[in-house]
Amino acid sequence: MKNQSKFSKMIAIDGVVILAAFVLMVIFFSLKADSFLIPDSIRYYINEAVPIFIIIVGLTFVIIAGGIDLSIGAVLGLSAGTSLTVSMWGWPFWMAVIVGVLTGLAFGLLNAVFTTIFKINDFIVTLGTLNIAAGALTVLTDQIQLTGTKDTSFKRISGMNFLGLTSSIWIALIIVVVFELVLLKSPFGRRIFATGIGQVPALISGINTQRSKFGAYLISGGLAGLGGVLLASHLNSVQSGLAGGYELTAIAGAVLGGVSLAGGRGSVWRAIVGALFLTTLNQGLLLMGVDPLIFQIVTGLCILVGVVIDRAVYKFALTFSTQTRESNSQFLRGKRFSL
Amino acid sequence: MTINIAGRNSSKYLQNRILQDPSFGIFVLLVLAIIVMTFLEPSFATGRNVTNVINAMMTVSFLAIGMTVVLIAGGLDLSVGSTMAVTAGVAGKFIIYGMPMSVAFLCALTIGVGIGCINGLLITKLGIPDFIATLAMLGIGQGVILLWTQGVPILGYMSGAYYYIGGLNKIAGPISIPMIVVVVISVVMTIILKRSKFGLQLYAVGSSPISARNAGVNVDAIKISAYAISGLLAAIAGIHIAGRTTTIPPLIGNGYEISAIAAAVIGGASLLGGKGRMIGALIGALTLTLTRNIINLVGIKSSWQAILTGSVLIGAVLANRASSEFSRKRFRRGKT
Repeated sequence: MKNQSKFSKMIAIDGVVILAAFVLMVIFFSLKADSFLIPDSIRYYINEAVPIFIIIVGLTFVIIAGGIDLSIGAVLGLSAGTSLTVSMWGWPFWMAVIVGVLTGLAFGLLNAVFTTIFKINDFIVTLGTLNIAAGALTVLTDQIQLTGTKDTSFKRISGMNFLGLTSSIWIALIIVVVFELVLLKSPFGRRIFATGIGQVPALISGINTQRSKFGAYLISGGLAGLGGVLLASHLNSVQSGLAGGYELTAIAGAVLGGVSLAGGRGSVWRAIVGALFLTTLNQGLLLMGVDPLIFQIVTGLCILVGVVIDRAVYKFALTFSTQTRESNSQFLRGKRFSL
Repeated sequence: MTINIAGRNSSKYLQNRILQDPSFGIFVLLVLAIIVMTFLEPSFATGRNVTNVINAMMTVSFLAIGMTVVLIAGGLDLSVGSTMAVTAGVAGKFIIYGMPMSVAFLCALTIGVGIGCINGLLITKLGIPDFIATLAMLGIGQGVILLWTQGVPILGYMSGAYYYIGGLNKIAGPISIPMIVVVVISVVMTIILKRSKFGLQLYAVGSSPISARNAGVNVDAIKISAYAISGLLAAIAGIHIAGRTTTIPPLIGNGYEISAIAAAVIGGASLLGGKGRMIGALIGALTLTLTRNIINLVGIKSSWQAILTGSVLIGAVLANRASSEFSRKRFRRGKT
């Protein structure tokens, strides 16, 4: 029981930092920019950011399992391309969805096979598949002009309205809730955490770490595919280089939300709050008339600040559990070098 | 493999030594590709094409040398591409502002080293993981150059001397200034790595930071200087590429970080640290450039390039792994 309260205290501290920053930022922008708090404008920019919210869920799984997935942005772009292509061929909308998700799953499988079976560094593999996916989209758009489908039901995948919100926001909400439950409540989620905390202890307790990592990469790829379908349906046109820097934003969001890059700590909702923080910051700066080109600099700075705060908070939280302090700090130091 | 056999033991030793060489797998592929291409494509083995390939590999060579130094120290620098773009922008813009070329270059080199030092400080003093710190720096660098140029390519900085620096004008026959610079830098770096105290410390830090610290090495200082060297070489690459392309689009550095990492890894550097050589970096750069050249000659569309770079990266890691696995098994069999 005592342990439980310490644990929840830690979680509370982790989430509170980013939430407080978020609230402060919202107050700041609503004072500075008049059009910031209009419901339509909020709905608009959240709708624009749905693909990021979706890929960040998969990324959270991979990072908690101790990996990293840099390919999500490019895979999302490629899935958008493939699903729009088949829709333009006149295939029904559900086939387009399946093709898009399968594209994502194929790349997830590629990442999973190379990282878990061939044991190549996660980072090199996903950097390679990033290039492969981005190149495949260039080849695809070279061959076909992806300027739009006539199939209205494909466009309605993301464009329908329920209770004042578009269907893509609803889909993102459902995915967040479902995957948060999977991560925190299911045995698979427990195994993901165990894998990220330490391969050796997980192995000793009989967990197949490679299998849970495999699953995490598959989830990441599949969700990137789904995000691509939603983006294609929303934009109804795809060019080469689509969704290029999304992985940077997603990693920044996850890090800001306190998902530890060392693995083993984090949750979906906190990553979402991190992404919300970044997109809101972007929107607020836009409304204040700041050059949108500055946003990349802001994202980069946010990653750095996020990691530093995360480490500080974690050290602070460790002081609550004095018993494990020594071993934990040793573990932290080891992780730092191994990364 | 045909090797002159002097004696049974020494031949075994030589065989093992060659097979265990980290870039042996890729070297065999490279030689095979060259032989096949010479027979298939008459325009491949001409003097003009060879100089083309060598000229085109210069930019990646600079970046790969810097990346190898960082990889030896157990780090990873994703920011080289955007550092190259920023320093190219600095060199070009400052010349347009009317500064003498040498001052502009000095500013570019200083900024390159500065970015490298910031990377090193973020990683060592704040404890941010290597690739996150440099990924953030990649975003920041790209944002800075976009904001500075407003997305418009930089034009009008070329002068007579700059054509020589970019390698567009040769100084003697097929030899250009960048070639000389690459050779000098790789020779100097090889001597530093193999013969100096700093080189030894670099390998020690990369192999095991904790034992290096216990042995009295200043781990943080070594890592920061590795990143500074990478930044310096990125700046040299920036100055060079500005001369080679004669315009500087703000996204000029996009994708160069993966080429640099791929070249270094193909050349036998390990992401786990403590491994890597200069000659390997050059072999890696040659592999990448040759792949691109072959694609062009065979007539595959240039849009396939990114796919091939990605595949070559993963394939090279697999090939090197396979060759070292093979030689280890051979070695073990020979012993028992």
